[in-house]
Amino acid sequence: MGGGANKPELIVNGKRLDGRAFDELREIKIEANTVKNAVGSAYIEWGNNKILAAVYGPKEALPKHVSDPEKAIIKCRYQMAPFSSLEGHGRTGPNRRATEISKVTRETFENVIQLDKFPGSEIDLYIEVLQGDGGTRAAGITVAAVALATSGIPMTDLPYGVSVGKIGEQLVLDLNMIEDNYSDADVPIAISPRQGKVLLFQMDGSMSREQIMEALQMARKAGEVISKKQRDALRLPYEQIADKYKAVPSNQPQPAQA
Amino acid sequence: MKTSTITGEYIKDMITKSYREDGRKMFDYRPINLKIGTMPNAEGSAEASIGQTRVLAGIKIDVAEPMADKPEEGNLMTAAELLPLASGDYETGPPGPEAIELARVVDRGIRAANVVDMGKLFIEKDKVWSVFVDLYVLNYDGNLFDASSLAASAALLSSRMPKYEKEGETGKVVRSGNLGKLPTANIVTSCTFGNILHRLILDPTANEELFIDSRLTIANDEHSIRAVQKGLNGAFSFDEIDEMMDTAFEKSRELRQIIKKAIGE
Amino acid sequence: MQRIVVPGEELADKPLRIDNTIIDGGRTYSTLMALYDDEKKILTPLEGLWYPRGGDNVIGIIEEDKFNVYTVALDAPYRGLIFSKDVEGDLIAGDIIEATVKELDKTKTAMLARPRRLSGGKILYLKPSKIPRVLGRGNTMIRQLSMETQSNIKVGMNGLIWLNGGNMDLATRAILTIQDEAHTNGLTERVKSMLEAGKKV
Repeated sequence: MGGGANKPELIVNGKRLDGRAFDELREIKIEANTVKNAVGSAYIEWGNNKILAAVYGPKEALPKHVSDPEKAIIKCRYQMAPFSSLEGHGRTGPNRRATEISKVTRETFENVIQLDKFPGSEIDLYIEVLQGDGGTRAAGITVAAVALATSGIPMTDLPYGVSVGKIGEQLVLDLNMIEDNYSDADVPIAISPRQGKVLLFQMDGSMSREQIMEALQMARKAGEVISKKQRDALRLPYEQIADKYKAVPSNQPQPAQA
Repeated sequence: MKTSTITGEYIKDMITKSYREDGRKMFDYRPINLKIGTMPNAEGSAEASIGQTRVLAGIKIDVAEPMADKPEEGNLMTAAELLPLASGDYETGPPGPEAIELARVVDRGIRAANVVDMGKLFIEKDKVWSVFVDLYVLNYDGNLFDASSLAASAALLSSRMPKYEKEGETGKVVRSGNLGKLPTANIVTSCTFGNILHRLILDPTANEELFIDSRLTIANDEHSIRAVQKGLNGAFSFDEIDEMMDTAFEKSRELRQIIKKAIGE
Repeated sequence: MQRIVVPGEELADKPLRIDNTIIDGGRTYSTLMALYDDEKKILTPLEGLWYPRGGDNVIGIIEEDKFNVYTVALDAPYRGLIFSKDVEGDLIAGDIIEATVKELDKTKTAMLARPRRLSGGKILYLKPSKIPRVLGRGNTMIRQLSMETQSNIKVGMNGLIWLNGGNMDLATRAILTIQDEAHTNGLTERVKSMLEAGKKV
């Protein structure tokens, strides 16, 4: 962050390197039910990020001593593929960064999953970053929420993630990798849109109190777009199947199946 | 505990009728899909699916020291991850024997068939290119070997080649811009068979893999067999091995076509 | 008019007593992907897990023989338990059984009664939220399926379906169609024509 001699000009003529406005998200595409074996799953392409999330469980928590007789526990694993970056071959296996992201992601979902419905059980949440381009933890939370919704595990809300950064004194939404590398601050945020509350909040760099508040506002505003993408990914497959048969009254012969 | 969705009696009944749970004949593959370039950050990538089995291969190429016994050749490193998201039976943690066997069998085929032209990966004294093949299992429904070798071959054959630019004493790796292709010299594919009740089947599903008592993977190119791996504690007769080699040569023609089509040849 | 709702979506600006919802600040929100009927105030889960209730029919797989009890995998957060004295003959690990839930005990174990061993055949794993549609109103759908395919079909509320004999391919295809299209209109008719067409082949 912040540095280096070769720092590129990240804002030229009021636009960012990829042509986005300061408060503009990258393109987001979400698809639900993408891992056949999983109880719930989803895939997201957020800019050049490509992330797969899957849910197994709830099932009996093992080993026994980790189980909680009052509620379900969540085991979350966030991981980046060794070929996910534009740089060299990444290290395989868990590292300190991935372990921390797994923890804060788990805590985000502990807030919204109705854990008390499944005492003694565990819910496994896997987030695999197949390609990363900045903002993977936020995109990972966004796609994991969709995967959880498809699993039928009850949740009080559908959280989403987004990051806000600072380039010079300018706040910008949704940093990509190059912006992240040279920005002056980065704030990953996850929000519960129903409650309007913050579930994940990290910051690295330098920001004033006013800028932090503005960053939170930007994250909330971005939620209008991100939440809609999540809801559409969940709804559209159902609506498409339903629409296929809507025009035909149920007592009439059905069209031949394709 | 691994649980099957078909029972032993049902499998027995089907196999004696020369019929598979999905209606296939004994030596049929399930539908195969292969797509290259799905992960453009990687130097090369390909996703292969056979039925519901999905494997993603990603290629990364770095500068490294050569192996002591081959100072003028590049390195090749193949690893496989049975991602816990791919099956309820997979667990987190370091690669187990299954993942290591998978990676090594795929690696042997690629190496023995000279898919990558290792002699062209020399940079300068004590510096060669190291090619990393990472196999990511995204959904498990049997026959990881053939899906992995398809994905690995297609990813290697369509991989970019980074450049090494000297900057005084050291140098840097350039991974974008106008790049050539990874030097390759051959195509290898594999065919995996199982043995249920003394009947041979090609491309076993996850259900079938629970009932086969031996497994044979044959990796070959147009002319020769390049790697073989027998798995599980059952046994094959000489005649069965002969029959499987015949079938592998025949089926590999289709598989090579699938790869050629995917890489646009 | 029904609409599709997602977890956290508001159903009403007043408190309603409906399963699978929460009430917060006097408003009612869904906790599941579901179909919601605003007029009738009915929430039908599209994705949901199974909560054992006394009398539920289940399909399970014997996990372990623990001397006086058998543990049963139900593909659910709850494990099934059968007393050996309730079993006629012997069960071994891997056996498929049909049984009825007696009760859910404090340790979240489903106590099972009247186990019947199912031999041969195969199992389909469905989403438990789709099982009511496979059964149909008054079990009409499942009766039709069995009759038209001549397959012996047992349906577990836990999402497992066992089938054996008859035209199992056709029965499987029909069941998977019901799973995918559980929320659509005219499903019964479509399954009927599918079964009739399938029989002719």
